[in-house]
Amino acid sequence: MMRKSNNIQIPTAATAAIWLAILVAPLFLDDWGVSQFAQYVTYGIFAMSLSFVWGHGGMLCFGQAIFFGIGAYLMALTTLEKFSWFGGSQTVGLLLAISGPAVVAHLLGRVLFGGRGLQGAYFAIVTLCAAVIVEITAQHWRFIGGFNGLLGVPPLTIAWRDGVDAYMTSIEVYYAVFFAALAVFAALTMIVRSPFGSVLAAIRGDENRTRYFGYDTARFKIFAFTVSGAIAGLAGALFTAQFGFVSPALCGFALSTEVLIWVAVGGRGVLMAAFLGAILVRSVESYLSDSLGNYWLMALGILFVATVVLAPQGVFGRWLNLPLPKRLRPAKVDDKSAQEMTGMA
Amino acid sequence: MEFAVAITLDTVSFTLTLLLVTMGLVVIFGLMNVINMAHGEFFLIGAYTVVALQQVGAPFWTGLLVAPVILACVGLVLEELVIRHVYHRFIDTILATWGISIALKQSIIILFGPTSQSVVNPLPQPVDLLGVTYPSYRLLIMTISLGLAISTFLFFYRTHAGLAVRGVIANRMMAASLGINTRRMDRATFAFGAALAGFAGAVMAPIMSVDPQMGVGFLIPAFLSILVGGTSSLLGAVLGSGIIGTANTVVSSLWTQVAAQIVVFSLAIVLIRTFPEGLTGRKR
Amino acid sequence: MLTVSGLVAGYQTGSRVLNGLSFSIQPGEVVALIGRNGMGKSTFLKTLTGHLTASAGQIEFLGNDIFNAAPHDIANAGIGYVPQGREIFSDFSVEQNLLMGAIGKSGIRNAVPQWAYEPFPILDERRKQRAGTMSGGQQQQLAIMRALVGQPKLLLLDEPSEGIQPSIVQEIGQTLARISRDHSLTVLLVEQNLELVFAVAQRCLFMENGVIAEEVSDVSKLSNDSAIIHKYLSV
Repeated sequence: MMRKSNNIQIPTAATAAIWLAILVAPLFLDDWGVSQFAQYVTYGIFAMSLSFVWGHGGMLCFGQAIFFGIGAYLMALTTLEKFSWFGGSQTVGLLLAISGPAVVAHLLGRVLFGGRGLQGAYFAIVTLCAAVIVEITAQHWRFIGGFNGLLGVPPLTIAWRDGVDAYMTSIEVYYAVFFAALAVFAALTMIVRSPFGSVLAAIRGDENRTRYFGYDTARFKIFAFTVSGAIAGLAGALFTAQFGFVSPALCGFALSTEVLIWVAVGGRGVLMAAFLGAILVRSVESYLSDSLGNYWLMALGILFVATVVLAPQGVFGRWLNLPLPKRLRPAKVDDKSAQEMTGMA
Repeated sequence: MEFAVAITLDTVSFTLTLLLVTMGLVVIFGLMNVINMAHGEFFLIGAYTVVALQQVGAPFWTGLLVAPVILACVGLVLEELVIRHVYHRFIDTILATWGISIALKQSIIILFGPTSQSVVNPLPQPVDLLGVTYPSYRLLIMTISLGLAISTFLFFYRTHAGLAVRGVIANRMMAASLGINTRRMDRATFAFGAALAGFAGAVMAPIMSVDPQMGVGFLIPAFLSILVGGTSSLLGAVLGSGIIGTANTVVSSLWTQVAAQIVVFSLAIVLIRTFPEGLTGRKR
Repeated sequence: MLTVSGLVAGYQTGSRVLNGLSFSIQPGEVVALIGRNGMGKSTFLKTLTGHLTASAGQIEFLGNDIFNAAPHDIANAGIGYVPQGREIFSDFSVEQNLLMGAIGKSGIRNAVPQWAYEPFPILDERRKQRAGTMSGGQQQQLAIMRALVGQPKLLLLDEPSEGIQPSIVQEIGQTLARISRDHSLTVLLVEQNLELVFAVAQRCLFMENGVIAEEVSDVSKLSNDSAIIHKYLSV
């Protein structure tokens, strides 16, 4: 795993190249392809939210779709004027879709991490159970549409255009999603590379030891969980505006599982790898699921097991792992400590 | 009064079956430090074994014998192919068994289709018990499950082999240096846990709607039982299953199934928050 | 009886805690392995008992190749292990702990023989007591007898005097000396407590930087030679 100093730039170059490729992708796609790809990028945002909380924060969340679903529902309820006092504003919808899941994540984090706190595996199981419960609740809550969910969610609009023109074209939707993804990537990368991110990495490595150093680890974890919830909510809102409907499945157990697979296959410890994992798995899925049918999910399950056993860093993890921030780089790069700091969790 | 008796009987029968699933999980976790997310699918395969045997015309009772055998084999194969490679990476065992569960569930869908199957109740006549008319098959489930649970307990606490297993759970390295083949024990335990879950699935098939989602339906309460009861001993499994099973049955018969799940989950969260190591757990 | 040659082992790839360790033990001998902390004594015992994978070398025991064998196979070949820190099963009773010494061994009845209680009478008194509630010295006695119940041909002891009051160390020393004499049991004692070494051992190996640096074939001569003790133990 020794990385020589002359090719330390490969991950940086690869990351930039991927963003560039996504930027110019619409040039090579037809209208349907563009809207399809916009959805994958939306899933990519969702995947980054999980990579942040799991790969960087060490909290294996089996219920990440809870936040995605809440974001989607809040966006749908607002723009469908179920919350009549907002007049169906999409801006308010987006704000609610970001802040609502953040609040839920914060509260859940306080319950689960406060006090002596739940250790890794317990946290995974509790979030798994929570996803199932939230899905069941959504199925039986008439205000939010019960089993059928909510249909006819309006697509994204542009404020300064009127009437039917206000609806974004698929290219415009694509770039809206693209810049949201880029912003999320930039924000999360900054957090991960900040001193806060170093503490988070320390907690992931050994929570008790970090606590003995005087850090209130629960607060760090709750904050990370909140940020992750907000981003998953944003992804959910963007999703529902593109698809035009929400259903209980969006906050449940199956989607939580899928995002986990995307992130694990791509590379849990690297935001860009998780992002790419989501896009890759979704693309392959749409390409193969027609011909493979039920066998697709079985193949995906087996692929997942194989990745976990044989390549815990995921398929792209090694190639997209950005170099350490200057602050943490010793004058002469010491491979061993660099490896420990980037925390190949 | 009759209502109370019926609820009590329902509670006992659900709790005992839950216990069969939970015990396997606890032993696998205690011995190998593996959280087996595929355990629900072991239950599922047990139930579908009964369905398959019914389709070929075999009598129901053969299923109770065949299901544990099949599941023991499934457990052995999975342990060899996957689990043993991730023993030392705790979180990865969750992910790997999770992938297994997806693949297993999907195989069941491919073989039997996504819709629910029904299994003919082998003992359709009800019996009168303490003033209520109660399905005799449920009474049989209770008896068998109780017998199995007691046997498992006796095995772990009254036999030399059981002592060896508990020794490995307590201190794997030392047990190995005393000559105990921990590798063989891992394999046997995983197979045993799988067989128990498979048996539970088979025995529950006639009174549940057998569909591909039933494994998850049983896995969630089993996990909550473990979290509530603690992972340090089988006693935790009993206590946890008792609490979760009782809450689930009582709330769902007084109210709705959905309410029951929400109440049970909230109760579990409160208990886990109060006793992070489980009710029987000591601080490690 | 035990022949170790060119043993190389360590914890991470690259580090060599054992750096070509070689020595041998004859049947019936009681050998002490002495050295400061960090010189590789415990690493050697972990490698010998199969808990650490060695990268090179040979280990032969009673004509069997046990290099990198599984721990349970090594135990069944006839090596009894009393690890540092005792590692008793604290939730088990004294009797169950002793039983654990027999259960894993092939060719031994799964029962605690009466003789297992004789060397340390306290174990007999406390058969039913939870082992975790006993004092450190009693736990050490239990750990030794647990290993002996498995009827090993070679007994490995890793710092048995650590954290134990001197009177019990003395008792353990006398008992070990008697057992090895009466039953011609071969013993490898890893120790820093010289009193115990003098009481039990015949031959003494000094370990430094992962190899045997010096050997004293008669321990009784050692008590007059403070230079060598200074060199390898710096006491």
